[in-house]
Amino acid sequence: MKGMKKELITLRVNNEDYEIFTYPNKTLLEVLREDLMLTGTKEGCSEGACGTCTVLMDGKPIRSCLMLAVEAQGKDITTIEGLSEDDELHPIQKNFIEQGAIQCGFCTPGMILTAKALLDENPRPTEDDIKVAISGNVCRCTGYAKIVKAIKESSK
Amino acid sequence: MRLPSFNYLEPITLTDALNLMEEYHGRAQPLAGGTELLPRMKLGLTHPTYLMSLKEIHELKGIKSNKNELYIGGMTSLREIFLSTLLQQKFLAISEAAGSVAAPPLRNMGTIAGNLCQDTRCFFYNQSYFWRRGLKPCFKAGGNVCYAVPGSKKCFSVYQGDLAPALIAFNAKVRIEKKGSSRIIPIEELFSGKGEKPIVIADDELLTQVIVPIPEGIYGSSYRKFRLRNALDYPLVSAAAFLAIDSEKKVKSVKVVLGAAGPAPVIVKEAEDILKGKKVEESAINEIAEAAYKRAQMVDNLGLPASYRKKMVRVFTKRAIENAFNSIK
Ligand SMILES: Cc1cc2nc3c(=O)[nH]c(=O)nc-3n(C[C@H](O)[C@H](O)[C@H](O)COP(=O)(O)OP(=O)(O)OC[C@H]3O[C@@H](n4cnc5c(N)ncnc54)[C@H](O)[C@@H]3O)c2cc1C
Ligand code: SF4
Ligand code: FES
Ligand code: FES
Repeated sequence: MKGMKKELITLRVNNEDYEIFTYPNKTLLEVLREDLMLTGTKEGCSEGACGTCTVLMDGKPIRSCLMLAVEAQGKDITTIEGLSEDDELHPIQKNFIEQGAIQCGFCTPGMILTAKALLDENPRPTEDDIKVAISGNVCRCTGYAKIVKAIKESSK
Repeated sequence: MRLPSFNYLEPITLTDALNLMEEYHGRAQPLAGGTELLPRMKLGLTHPTYLMSLKEIHELKGIKSNKNELYIGGMTSLREIFLSTLLQQKFLAISEAAGSVAAPPLRNMGTIAGNLCQDTRCFFYNQSYFWRRGLKPCFKAGGNVCYAVPGSKKCFSVYQGDLAPALIAFNAKVRIEKKGSSRIIPIEELFSGKGEKPIVIADDELLTQVIVPIPEGIYGSSYRKFRLRNALDYPLVSAAAFLAIDSEKKVKSVKVVLGAAGPAPVIVKEAEDILKGKKVEESAINEIAEAAYKRAQMVDNLGLPASYRKKMVRVFTKRAIENAFNSIK
């Protein structure tokens, strides 16, 4: 459109503030991947149906492909890059590796962030709680049994 | 997939929002959770000039109640509606409907106003620009053919919103506001029944609140939804039932509403005549299910054949009524 103007927006991602000069029609997903180079967040379907673009916004999982970057200002955003500390992986990440809950890895960032939000809210989830929590995240290769197991292990 | 261009507006009060809607002569499209509108924009089905985010308007969020009525702000998230103990206790069908939408992350984002005002859907319409490019536009896209029902003169796209049937079962209303005025209408009047343009709300109006009367006496409710996967999928058929009984377990009032059975929610008007004053028995439930089956209007434009979906109307109507009855404590 003629006249669509770039805006300076401020995003708080993984406890750091970023200033980005961007268009209002950029999704949070696009800005994370293309401006901040945080490519751990994946683009699968781009229409809300797969969960690979999941990030945490104020601790809750959301679809970054359906959120405008301008709308994400003033919120705390956590991406998969924000989970490890220095070179130490987060316990959920370690459990995904140990349980073989990763094959191609495309769904993994979304699965792990969804799991983190669940465990922060409910440290002792039942297997059904876990299944409901990850019901919006599609995995096309590992299957869900090992993913559920990895999350279960992380709740101990 | 990229979003088309638009200009972005972000009012922080309802008054500002209504002013902007007037100022831009209906060209400012409300953006609530974005989970229905943004996919349609990415597919090139709609191109708003201005998008007006309602996310910062805090006065539109939250659930309140008094002795007679429940009030749900238009920007209240489906997660909050699903988890509300008040709703789980007194408005079970509404809570169940909210909890059945899409999947948890989409319920964190999606709102009740956005859910009600969502567009109808059709396999031949909700496709990418690339896919649609091979065909002339159908009625819904402004053309004059229908691919679902060749030769027909109208659009049969399906209203698949989950909240509306449950809210109608409770005789809920919505408050619609524009600059300088406000009106309240029963939710069923939000729907035109036309697939081409299913929602009757003017370009300069906002749906600001849902109002649900609190039923008196002994009652139960339920929402049952048929879909292939238990998450992410829109309903292929759904049924909401409300049932109030007296101390002798005779039915005082009953309301059964179908979802995904046409371009608008379908009220099974026969239910009241069939059950009122009687006990809830299988034969009466079957009779209502039959009436529901006859009312459902289905064509081959969703994930499963119309004939199969139509048969499922009976099954899910029965389940909704039985569950509503069993939920009475
Ligand atoms: C993978 C996937 C699965 C889904 N499954 C389901 C499902 O099972 N059931 C279901 O019902 N929905 C489903 N949806 C659709 C959507 O997520 C929900 O309907 C959601 O509640 C829409 O709310 P929203 O706030 O995101 O709406 P938005 O996308 O923000 O808006 C939807 C429409 O309503 C209009 N609007 C929003 N607020 C107002 C207002 N206050 N006044 C006037 N107009 C307004 C917008 O302009 C737009 O036209 C699904 C979506 C996805 C991506
Ligand atoms: S029912 Fe027909 S007119 Fe309506 S969207 Fe589908 S193909 Fe188009
Ligand atoms: S890329 Fe966002 S849900 Fe698939
Ligand atoms: S590991 Fe490949 S999609 Fe899940």
